Amino acid sequence: MNLSAAEQRILDGEEGEGARKALELVVALGKIYGAEDLVPITSAHLSGVSYKTIGDGGIVYLEHVSQGAKVRVPSTLNPSGMDSVRWREMGVSEEFAAKQLHIIDLYGSMGVETSCSCTPYLAGNVPRKGDHVAWAESSALSMVNSMVGARTNREGGPGALAAAIVGRTANYGLHLKENRSPTVVVEADIDGSLFSHSLLGQAVGSRIGNGIPYFRGIRPDWEEAKIMAAAMAASGAVAMFHVEDHTPESSEHSTEGLEVINIGDDELKDAHESLSVVEDVELIAFGCPHLSMREVREMAYYLEGKVKKSDVKVWFCTSRQVRDALPKEVATLERFGTVLADTCMVVTPVEGLYESSASDSAKACNYLPTLCSQKVRCDSFQTLMEVVM
Amino acid sequence: MIINGRAIASGRAEAEVLVLNEDFSFLGGVDTATGELRVGEGNISGRMFAFRRGKGSTVGSYTIFDLKTKNLAPAGIINATAETIVTTGAVIADIPLVDGIDIDALRSGDRAIIDGDSGTLELPDLELREVVSGIVRRGDDILLLRRSDEESHFPRMWGGASGLMEAGEGPEDAASRELLEETQIDARPTLIGRSFLIRGDGIIWKVHPVLFEADDEPTLNWEHCDYRWVSPADSAGMDTVPRLNEVLVRLGL
Repeated sequence: MNLSAAEQRILDGEEGEGARKALELVVALGKIYGAEDLVPITSAHLSGVSYKTIGDGGIVYLEHVSQGAKVRVPSTLNPSGMDSVRWREMGVSEEFAAKQLHIIDLYGSMGVETSCSCTPYLAGNVPRKGDHVAWAESSALSMVNSMVGARTNREGGPGALAAAIVGRTANYGLHLKENRSPTVVVEADIDGSLFSHSLLGQAVGSRIGNGIPYFRGIRPDWEEAKIMAAAMAASGAVAMFHVEDHTPESSEHSTEGLEVINIGDDELKDAHESLSVVEDVELIAFGCPHLSMREVREMAYYLEGKVKKSDVKVWFCTSRQVRDALPKEVATLERFGTVLADTCMVVTPVEGLYESSASDSAKACNYLPTLCSQKVRCDSFQTLMEVVM
Repeated sequence: MIINGRAIASGRAEAEVLVLNEDFSFLGGVDTATGELRVGEGNISGRMFAFRRGKGSTVGSYTIFDLKTKNLAPAGIINATAETIVTTGAVIADIPLVDGIDIDALRSGDRAIIDGDSGTLELPDLELREVVSGIVRRGDDILLLRRSDEESHFPRMWGGASGLMEAGEGPEDAASRELLEETQIDARPTLIGRSFLIRGDGIIWKVHPVLFEADDEPTLNWEHCDYRWVSPADSAGMDTVPRLNEVLVRLGL
């Protein structure tokens, strides 16, 4: 691999052991995928935050790394295993909470912004078109690749942290324009609801794996795009999509000769049935990915004047920024459930609290059975809220 | 003998090989209190752990680091194909990693030295023997030769024109020489396939597949007792030398 003089200096240890080790990891990952050089990044977004997912091994690693390293670019964190403030209300144990707070402190000591969200692009970490970034979190990286036109691969937690520490990542895959072309055309014939976009993502991801779809027939706003991107990354491994006449790079590539798949009501119905296996649930959770300001406002508007009548728990998961910015709307939602920040239904230890849960997010409904041992129901916000009213 | 792979995670390690000839997930695949494998047999601590490719949860990177802090990590890792999870774990835990190695050629108990900066695997107790396996194509058919009773290896079995490479010889020259000796066909190769390894006792054979195009009928010497022109598909039903099919695949036949 071709390294610049500055990069070689880091690798020789002249900028400290932490930076040397980080660059070694960035270079090793680049070698696997045939990168010829490294590319400077403007931001990073790190996964590997929840104690539930990284465990004690992750803590030992972060304790080690944080001794000698600071991030060089603005860096944000993925959701953690609990609401940093309201974890007792969630039923999280003292032991789990202590370890979780320790993990977040370790990231903080390296200069990482410690609010934890899967939608950093809605809360200040916003790349520009053409920026190279190193983002983990499959839905967020798909959003910045697709809706922003920034460039990132599917980074893992330690790889993204290493990239943040040296301000560079390996130049391969989606950092190169020739790998950002669509691989399949999706003709979508769906209604414009948020939930249909969730199911559309499920249907497409399960069909195309790690391909790059080029959509016709939809014009998703940010909320529709994020639930669709999350679903495609969970049911498949889609890291980027184009929408005709809509996303910033859609006009830069040809679709000539590509396979065309059609997704309509029948395909959405199949996707729905594959995810939704129970009727009654103990927990209903929204906000995968985290609810935007607009979603919280719309939910509050819908619930205004209505009354909750069942004891099914409801979680609204969002970022700390959104929860702090909308106290009045949050108060309305709180009459129906708990508005949680910094966490979500997938990375918190739901399995110790409930056996069945529901969400409007196809991503959540993919992961709840495996990561949280849940029996799952998948339905729209309105349909699920009618259950409790 | 030395096998050239790809340097992934730096450092040098010398240890006894533990082979797991499958894909492996560190999360769940090993007991982190003891280093004992939960899939397959053996303990990876201090060994040269050879497996095909990493799989499973990305948490596996942290598992490798966790093993290292408990002094239970492997001394080195050999992969057929490195991927993100194991590479990340190897780098953060300072474990040398070399990939691009044919895991089939290794046996548990082999003494091995890897160099994660040059990408080499040294097997000091094993001898390397490089052989050519020459296949002549005529139209849609290929020429198979039946080894005579006097042959010490694989008598009566069907194969190509084959033999040991001599010192200083490349696969092209060795294959042309063997073909001329064994069939009187004088030809130069049209394709050299990617080589592969076959494990024997104390020996690793490195097989170079070589393709010729020729119309001549062969004139056999003592090494063979019969020949046939057959389609590549028909060769599957014949009693052939080991991994002849691999030779054909690597020649696009």
